[in-house]
Amino acid sequence: MPGTRLSVWVNERLHVAEVPAHWTLLQLLTDALDLAGTKDGCGQGVCGACTVLVDGQTVRACLFLAVRARDRRVTTVEGLRTDGALHRLQQAFIDAGAVQCGFCTPGMLLAASALLAETPRPTEDDVREALVGNLCRCTGYARIVRAVLAATRLPGDTVA
Amino acid sequence: MTLPAFEYREPETLEEAIELLREGGDEARVIGGGTALVVMLRARLVRPRLLVGLGGISGLGDIQVDGPLDGPVDGGLRIGALATHREIERSREVRRVAPLLGEACGRVGSPTIRNMGTLGGNLAYGEAASDPAPALLALDARVTVSGPAGERTVPLAGFFHDFYETALGPAEILTAVHVPSSPAPARSTFVKYTCLSEEERAVVSVAAVVLPGPDGTWTEARIGLGGVAPTPIRARGAEAVLGGGRPTDGRLREAAAAAAADVDPLDDRQGSAEYRRAMTEVWVRRALETLRDG
Repeated sequence: MPGTRLSVWVNERLHVAEVPAHWTLLQLLTDALDLAGTKDGCGQGVCGACTVLVDGQTVRACLFLAVRARDRRVTTVEGLRTDGALHRLQQAFIDAGAVQCGFCTPGMLLAASALLAETPRPTEDDVREALVGNLCRCTGYARIVRAVLAATRLPGDTVA
Repeated sequence: MTLPAFEYREPETLEEAIELLREGGDEARVIGGGTALVVMLRARLVRPRLLVGLGGISGLGDIQVDGPLDGPVDGGLRIGALATHREIERSREVRRVAPLLGEACGRVGSPTIRNMGTLGGNLAYGEAASDPAPALLALDARVTVSGPAGERTVPLAGFFHDFYETALGPAEILTAVHVPSSPAPARSTFVKYTCLSEEERAVVSVAAVVLPGPDGTWTEARIGLGGVAPTPIRARGAEAVLGGGRPTDGRLREAAAAAAADVDPLDDRQGSAEYRRAMTEVWVRRALETLRDG
């Protein structure tokens, strides 16, 4: 399949790949770069399982043409760790029991991380609004919301 | 499922983009944020040979105010077609000149869809349940369209022709939206009623602008409706009931009933035609009460 040669930053690493024009960013990540964390759910931009960040903003990787990622910075769930340590959101999800089957978790984590980058101390409504496009069929959302709020708590905050 | 193969071009000028579309004919499509087109591609509802991306054309996503930032707004707003719903929702200029549009853009899908979807794409797609379209109709907006024969301006009220059909001709591109500024006393509100979840398409959305006069009457009222006809529409019957009169309970009820007569709803999984008509009456009345009572 003839493609366009393009460079894209994924999780702070520069990748150069031959990308067919009709590939989505999701295909580029999972098929060409072997990053299996981003999930292929509905393929219609509804479920949020394929949520990743492009230049810090959430996008649906299933609706985003890979060629449009040229020279941009993509963050997937694999990029949330720093120096081998889990991101505080990942740890909070574990602590709160916010993961059941885990399929929605990568998308949830990235949507939540985009929220915290803009709003470090969100209200519960802010969290629910940020996650409105990410479906979870197991948890009933309560523990996910609790986990995101817990990740924003500072030492010394009274626990509600 | 993967997408069918196509070629992708990202020209650097509008002229080049129009030329690519002209050459490509029926087999070429414009792509903005992709939130609508990629879904159609995956479902094989469209099979273009060429997609023309507009991201390489500079300035096509700008939001500009005509006139000084703190002074009077003379010419209103000019919003480039590639501005995303998120950018519009958060724009200080939009909040100042046309807060109604910001509110409506803030109700499109989910935050992630708003990061991707563009205003130009939303309008060019011709979706009946568009959120920004009713707001722009109530604001008397116009769109600029560029094509092989040059540039033309179309009032949005004449842009939507039928179910997913617009005034865009072959090789034409919607490039900008113009929103006139409203006189100072004008008040506006946007309500979107969904019966499943927040990010669903509207059962009905109501955008209303009223101009209160000094004597307690409303000298003018403009109402845009989404989701209740083959295209977004103006509720002209309701506007005629309101214009020049006092917003009494009786008149607001009469206007809401007129709005329900203005609509031509379809049945779908969001609701039956009968339900949509009933909800139009309820939500138009509530929107008008909000404008009267605050």
